Amino acid sequence: MFTQFGATSESLSKASTMMFRIGTDAHLYDDPDDVSIVPLLDSKFDSEKCEALKRLLALIAQGFDVSSYFPQVVKNVASQSLEVKKLVYLYLLHYAEKRPNEALLSINYFQKDLGDLNPLVRAWALRTMAGIRLHVIAPIILVAVGKCARDPSVYVRKCAANALPKLHDLRLEEHSASIEEIVGILLNDNSPGVVGAAAAAFASICPNNLSLIGRHYKRLCETLPDVEEWGQIVLVGILLRYAVAKHGLVEGSIMISSRSLVKYNSEREDLEPCLARKENPDDISSEICSEIADVVSRSYLEGPEKYLSQLSCMDKNPSSMDISHFTSSKSNDDVKILLQCTSPLLWSHNSAVVLAAAGVHWIMAPKEDIKKIVKPLLFLLRSSNASKYVVLCNIQVFAKAMPSLFVPHFEDFFVSSLDSYQVKALKLEILSSIATCSSISAIFLEFQDYIRDQDRRFAADTVAAIGLCSQRLPDVAKTCLEGLLALALSESSNGDFASADEEAVLVQAINSIKTIIKQDPPSHEKVIVYLVRSLDSIWAPAARAMIIWMVGEYNNVGGVIPKILPTLFKYLAGRFTLEAVETKLQILNACTKVLLRAKGEDLSILRKIVGYLFELAKCDFSYDVRDRARILKNLLSHRIGSPYLEEVKDQPEIEDLAHVLTESIFGGQTKPPSCEPLSYRFYLPGSLSQIVLHAAPGYEPLPEPHSLIYDESCNISTDVQGIKTSGVGVAHNEPNENDDSEAVSGSSDEENTSDYSSQESMSGSSESGGSGSASDVNDNAGPLIHLSDADLTHRNRVEVSEENDASGSNGVDELMSKRDLESWLDENPGLNQNSLDLGHVQRSLARISIKDFGGLVKPKSYTLLDPANGNGLSVDYTFSSEVSSISPLLVCLHVSFRNCSKEPMSDILLFEEESNRSPDSSDQSVSESSPVSRSEVPTLVPMEEIANLEPGHTLKRILQVRFQHHLLHLKLVLGCNGRKHLVKLRPDIGYFVKPLPMDIEEFSNKESHLPGMFEYIRRCTFTDHISELNDKYESSLVKDNFLLICEKMALKMLSNANLFLVSVDMPVACQP
Amino acid sequence: MLHCIFLLSDSGEVMLEKQLTGHQVDRSICVWFWDQIISQGDSLKLVPVIASPTHYLFQVVREGITFLACTQVEMPPLMAIEFLSRVADVLTDYLGSLNEDLIKDNFVIVYELLDEMIDNGFPLTTEPNILREMIAPPNIVSKVLSVVTGNVSNMSNTLPGATSSCVPWRKTDLKHASNEVYVDLVEEMDAIINRDGALVKCEIYGEVQVNSQLSGLPDLTLSFANPSILNDMRFHPCVRLRPWEANQILSFVPPDGEFKLMSYRVKKLKSTPIYVKPQLSSDSGTCRISVLVGIRNDPGKSIDSITVQFRLPPCVLSADLSANHGAVNILADKTCSWSIGRIPKDKAPSMSGTMALETGLQRLNVFPSFQVSFRIMGVALSGLQIDKLDLKNLPSRPYKGFRALTRAGEFEVRS
Repeated sequence: MFTQFGATSESLSKASTMMFRIGTDAHLYDDPDDVSIVPLLDSKFDSEKCEALKRLLALIAQGFDVSSYFPQVVKNVASQSLEVKKLVYLYLLHYAEKRPNEALLSINYFQKDLGDLNPLVRAWALRTMAGIRLHVIAPIILVAVGKCARDPSVYVRKCAANALPKLHDLRLEEHSASIEEIVGILLNDNSPGVVGAAAAAFASICPNNLSLIGRHYKRLCETLPDVEEWGQIVLVGILLRYAVAKHGLVEGSIMISSRSLVKYNSEREDLEPCLARKENPDDISSEICSEIADVVSRSYLEGPEKYLSQLSCMDKNPSSMDISHFTSSKSNDDVKILLQCTSPLLWSHNSAVVLAAAGVHWIMAPKEDIKKIVKPLLFLLRSSNASKYVVLCNIQVFAKAMPSLFVPHFEDFFVSSLDSYQVKALKLEILSSIATCSSISAIFLEFQDYIRDQDRRFAADTVAAIGLCSQRLPDVAKTCLEGLLALALSESSNGDFASADEEAVLVQAINSIKTIIKQDPPSHEKVIVYLVRSLDSIWAPAARAMIIWMVGEYNNVGGVIPKILPTLFKYLAGRFTLEAVETKLQILNACTKVLLRAKGEDLSILRKIVGYLFELAKCDFSYDVRDRARILKNLLSHRIGSPYLEEVKDQPEIEDLAHVLTESIFGGQTKPPSCEPLSYRFYLPGSLSQIVLHAAPGYEPLPEPHSLIYDESCNISTDVQGIKTSGVGVAHNEPNENDDSEAVSGSSDEENTSDYSSQESMSGSSESGGSGSASDVNDNAGPLIHLSDADLTHRNRVEVSEENDASGSNGVDELMSKRDLESWLDENPGLNQNSLDLGHVQRSLARISIKDFGGLVKPKSYTLLDPANGNGLSVDYTFSSEVSSISPLLVCLHVSFRNCSKEPMSDILLFEEESNRSPDSSDQSVSESSPVSRSEVPTLVPMEEIANLEPGHTLKRILQVRFQHHLLHLKLVLGCNGRKHLVKLRPDIGYFVKPLPMDIEEFSNKESHLPGMFEYIRRCTFTDHISELNDKYESSLVKDNFLLICEKMALKMLSNANLFLVSVDMPVACQP
Repeated sequence: MLHCIFLLSDSGEVMLEKQLTGHQVDRSICVWFWDQIISQGDSLKLVPVIASPTHYLFQVVREGITFLACTQVEMPPLMAIEFLSRVADVLTDYLGSLNEDLIKDNFVIVYELLDEMIDNGFPLTTEPNILREMIAPPNIVSKVLSVVTGNVSNMSNTLPGATSSCVPWRKTDLKHASNEVYVDLVEEMDAIINRDGALVKCEIYGEVQVNSQLSGLPDLTLSFANPSILNDMRFHPCVRLRPWEANQILSFVPPDGEFKLMSYRVKKLKSTPIYVKPQLSSDSGTCRISVLVGIRNDPGKSIDSITVQFRLPPCVLSADLSANHGAVNILADKTCSWSIGRIPKDKAPSMSGTMALETGLQRLNVFPSFQVSFRIMGVALSGLQIDKLDLKNLPSRPYKGFRALTRAGEFEVRS
């Protein structure tokens, strides 16, 4: 009966589906091309056109290319029927870029529609027209957008705001100023809906032009609650950036970690009594995890590259933030209003808005006010499964940096069996970081349930979390240990046929036991004995290996373990051949350690066993085991007394050596677990980068606090930023070069603006002649410019070519060969549109060429050693563009040593710091420099020692250095008078670039290949400059203008590794 | 900025693609995505943000339909996820429900909606009420018309007035013959009961759902008798936040039709209306299971649609389960569901049976957890009470209706 009913219901549902399908567009989707479409498109009737267009849409939906119908479709743009229009627009937007010429045909109709009385028609026309990505019509669109930005209809203005990013996306630099102007107009709109869209446009067009926000800041804050939800998300982020850039960080917020606070307090205690009161040491340490908070705040402020470069020197000089960067949320109105206006957003029903608002409070609010964000954040967990994961990822960071926030809410992180594995793992991690003495019992009760969960991976994670908890709260270590032991026992009991997942739990349990024991080995002796006894039942090789490691490590702890050793090793020796490789290796290690410590009659027994084990290992299948056995045997020869090594025995000093070696390798007590290195990165809350854990293209950290200053230069600086961001944007269109550009951007900001001039000495076109000349730039500026009358206009040439190589050392080789350059040139398809434009522009411009610029510019000098630190020895260095004779990977440095003290100095030598190799190389793995080149080229070519340096004298040396990474410091040791000073060489990215000799023709030939890649044409008029030029003099003002341009270019260039050639076109107006 | 949206069927077929910016995203990304899904199993389906070699993908899965959005640049991931959920909501609203056929049949509407909802990768109009005015939902009349006359447009010719008003969620000139407003409290109870039978967590997630059929531009004020019990809340954009901050009063101009006025949470409840007591004991390769269900605290109204669901542990080979009330079903994916319905007066429902374990396994080492669902009409278990609803600015006296409902949310009993 049931089956029958089932059948009927099925057929019923089928019938009903059929019914439902009648009257829909189903047939169009199923057989879109069963009639010929072209005649339908040409039909007189709108309904037929509609059908044809729907068929085309169906084909698009199914992934067919129907661009061949373009001409017929475009005609229909003139249709009066809105439905036809809409469908045409949909089609047009999909294919406009493919068929630019035909798309141009529609422009007239759009312009007509823009004048339509119906705002809907105007809006659609604008949206579609802006969506047609053609450079030719960009000016028309710009005019249209400008008009629509003042449209009476809110909807049209909103569409105008949305059209701006499309226009900006075409990367026509000459329009960017007017685009930004329209953004400003729209931001000032009195309809909140428009403001939201304008904020989105701002964020994608000129996110760094914060002065634009400054004008409307108060009003934007006030309208924030009324802005539609999507706009709120973006606007909140912009306002946060502005507040940080304008007013700096808030005193007492998470961003100012307790560490710098302490420092600040000790310096200025008397001035800020209220702060000192707040800064009650134990109070804060319980409240926030200062170390992580420090890293969090640091990484919010700094880009990934800068962060990486600082990582190496982080612990030595903690970034001492200037106190002037702090502001107070109480006294500063702007910050106050921001916090006030974002707090209602925490009640929004859009989870993205809540998270964005929470992010503002997290960064800007004083610590005691952050509590506010906790409940809304936790409530988000109930919204949807997809957002749950994202929210948890963010909560995880908050909880790590400030566990106290979430401590009372631990119940919210209890795992439900419906959660996905990722969510479960996140919840576990949060739980283990917020557990406190009061909540731990409840959490452990939960954990006990999780261990029996069906998902064994999750169960294993739970066991690991127990280990973490006991590390954080040593009080519960004993309870944990008991629980884990019981677990290990029960797991091992049914371990005979356990799958890999099953084993994971056991292995993790032993691992957690290990970490607990590590903290206090003597008191846990019994546990080790217990584990050893259960070795028989524990089968997982990884678990066995860990137990054996523990035995070896703690073989002389307590009174029982040494007694059981002989028996244990007899057992192990008997089973040796049956063990897995992993376990075998640990057995060999353990017996070495044991043998080192053994005394009395145990020694002789152990010696025999170990000898036997080595013999067994010698015949093992695995060469790892064989090798290990061989090494250990040699090292232990003095303890074993092997007959095979008699010749060694004859030489007691070698034996001693072996003994010392063994002692230092195996005898050394393992250090107590030091705080784990904070290698993970944090990104701004709510960002995509935080979820994927790498900086996504376009990710920007918070702006430098107090970087926004109002003065006349404001406009210029924002211009620079405008270029920079657009440059980065372009880089992202080229996925294969993404990494390079990211690696460079950010680091360049600081260093290279200051000494751009010195970098030009490297330019490929000019001779890389002797630098180091100390002549003043301004005095010699005249001859720099070579004027040559080409035609009516002065045709001057400035060629600043820069082969910018970002990918580090291996890229240099690439550049050295011309063939590579050739192929590289061919690889980059040019945007013809752009190059045409350029050609057009160039005709009316003059080109100025700066020759021998480098030789005349005083290179920027860095201090290597301060006389204060170096007992009167002052060491400075400058980079030079000389090419090293040894290897192109080496960078030449001029180092000048000056004795500022009264005493003569002797034996001055710079050499590499040996002990520092290991951390360096770990950094290496992060960076992308190739290991091959590292092995070939030395880091430092040995310097000629300075035997004696008289007081007041200065000596110069040329140093050839190979930087491991173009952002990381190179640590060197400076020996002087027998004392050693640690010094750091800062790399300068410009000097990784090597000149490539080529003659003028070749150069211009190459250059002609270049146009069309990424070109930015910026125009500016320097009236001062022109008038001075006619006098054939260069005043300092003019020079500044030049440098300004060059600096801009440098910024842009270095922020974007794709850019290899910069030519500066200077407009030179003829004086009548 | 989103670059592209794909709609995928549950077999991985791309049903629709909508390119949002000039940077066209190739369909091959979907192939890559589906390969990942296949190779990594369903667990990936639950990861909302995936970094593919070329793009970042956001996914929201509803009723087997995968809404996949791609971007290449940094953007708030929750924004993408919220937007995709909103698209899914709007489509469900338009098409009645969501499935492959419905989307294919109405692909033109889906395209039109997507085009209206997002512009250049940034959400444009997502308010369902306005969308309904711009693009008419398919209904029987239009279908019949289209059959009879050949074609009928579902596009509105004019811009909805609401886009320019200060209450963008409401049509400007609404007329209803009968003025009615219904306020429903819909609550879901989340609870975790651990192995010892102790209530670890019990809380209520509730929503105030309003169905308003009011003419003109009414101004409503809703107040609760005991707002202090509310722990967290979120509001529809129409709610004015100042009155809530000051007096905990909900003051709003409602959108037309059904909407979620607010959602709230009440934490730390002390008891659940029903109890579920599972017992498992295993020995020598078989496992005995028995589950008892009964009423613990009578809420005063009848509890119905009670079901108990659990997943048999992977080490169980076969199970033989029977119940003294209701039906027990074991599905192919080892999910066992016991639908009880109402609890009879005379006996306590119980289910018992044996399960055979894998050969070699003596005892059960992993234990299932039981998901319980139930429904109680007429009661809001959180105890939240609506005090009064005032309506202003209305031409005629409206009809006001209040209802309450509690059902189980994530109600989980561990064994």
